[in-house]
Amino acid sequence: MPTEMADPIIREIDIEAAPETVFEFFTDPAKLTRWLAVEATLDPRPGGVCHQVHEGAPGRGPYLMHGEFLEVDPPKRVVFTWGFSNSDVGVAPGASTVEVTLSPVGAGTRVLLVHRGLPVAAVEDHSGGWTIMLDRLRAAVTGQ
Amino acid sequence: MQAVLEAVVEPRRREILRLVRARETSAGTIAAHFPDVSRPTVSQHLRVLRDAGLLHERREGTRRLYRTRIEGLTEVRAFFAEFWDDRLQVLKAEAEAEQRRRDADRDG
Repeated sequence: MPTEMADPIIREIDIEAAPETVFEFFTDPAKLTRWLAVEATLDPRPGGVCHQVHEGAPGRGPYLMHGEFLEVDPPKRVVFTWGFSNSDVGVAPGASTVEVTLSPVGAGTRVLLVHRGLPVAAVEDHSGGWTIMLDRLRAAVTGQ
Repeated sequence: MQAVLEAVVEPRRREILRLVRARETSAGTIAAHFPDVSRPTVSQHLRVLRDAGLLHERREGTRRLYRTRIEGLTEVRAFFAEFWDDRLQVLKAEAEAEQRRRDADRDG
């Protein structure tokens, strides 16, 4: 439903490390906690848990990312759902997905990260989109 | 983000955002749209919306004018866009350090 979704966040970065090395930073808790989260419980296979504890906003306590691995294809691709049990983040568990694609570039790796399914980014120029977005915001607060 | 979500839970506040989306409107004109709501209550709604970053407030003499601040509603996506920018820079540094360590182990 395009009127309810923001455009995906798309990021690309080149890393001077082999794809095998980079891949482990998404699937090994000891490595994931070096860059993404402060704690992690990972079962890197389709349907396996991808739970991460994030630092969160100051004075708010930690944010609990309750995700699930959807695709795990080392060292090329990993996809997991991205959502938080804290309703104030506004992205519920299962609501969005993060797709990571690794491709070799020389001795290094090009990382393409696509984050889809976040709530709408801006107000649509008609009342329908506006209402849907506000309802989604409200749903995120009340959990309904 | 909590402030934004709390601000739009109240139906009157959502009505206000719709009302002043297209053009700047004075507090008095906004209040006139809600004959069943007391003026202090409308003022309170305006304050909550302004403090959440959803309303732009401008003073003109004794009047206060309001306009919906669209960018206040982009927070979830903007938050994660910045989040990934920051995190991927750290990933690059950590993965490159890891690779150097492995290469040194292999060569040594």
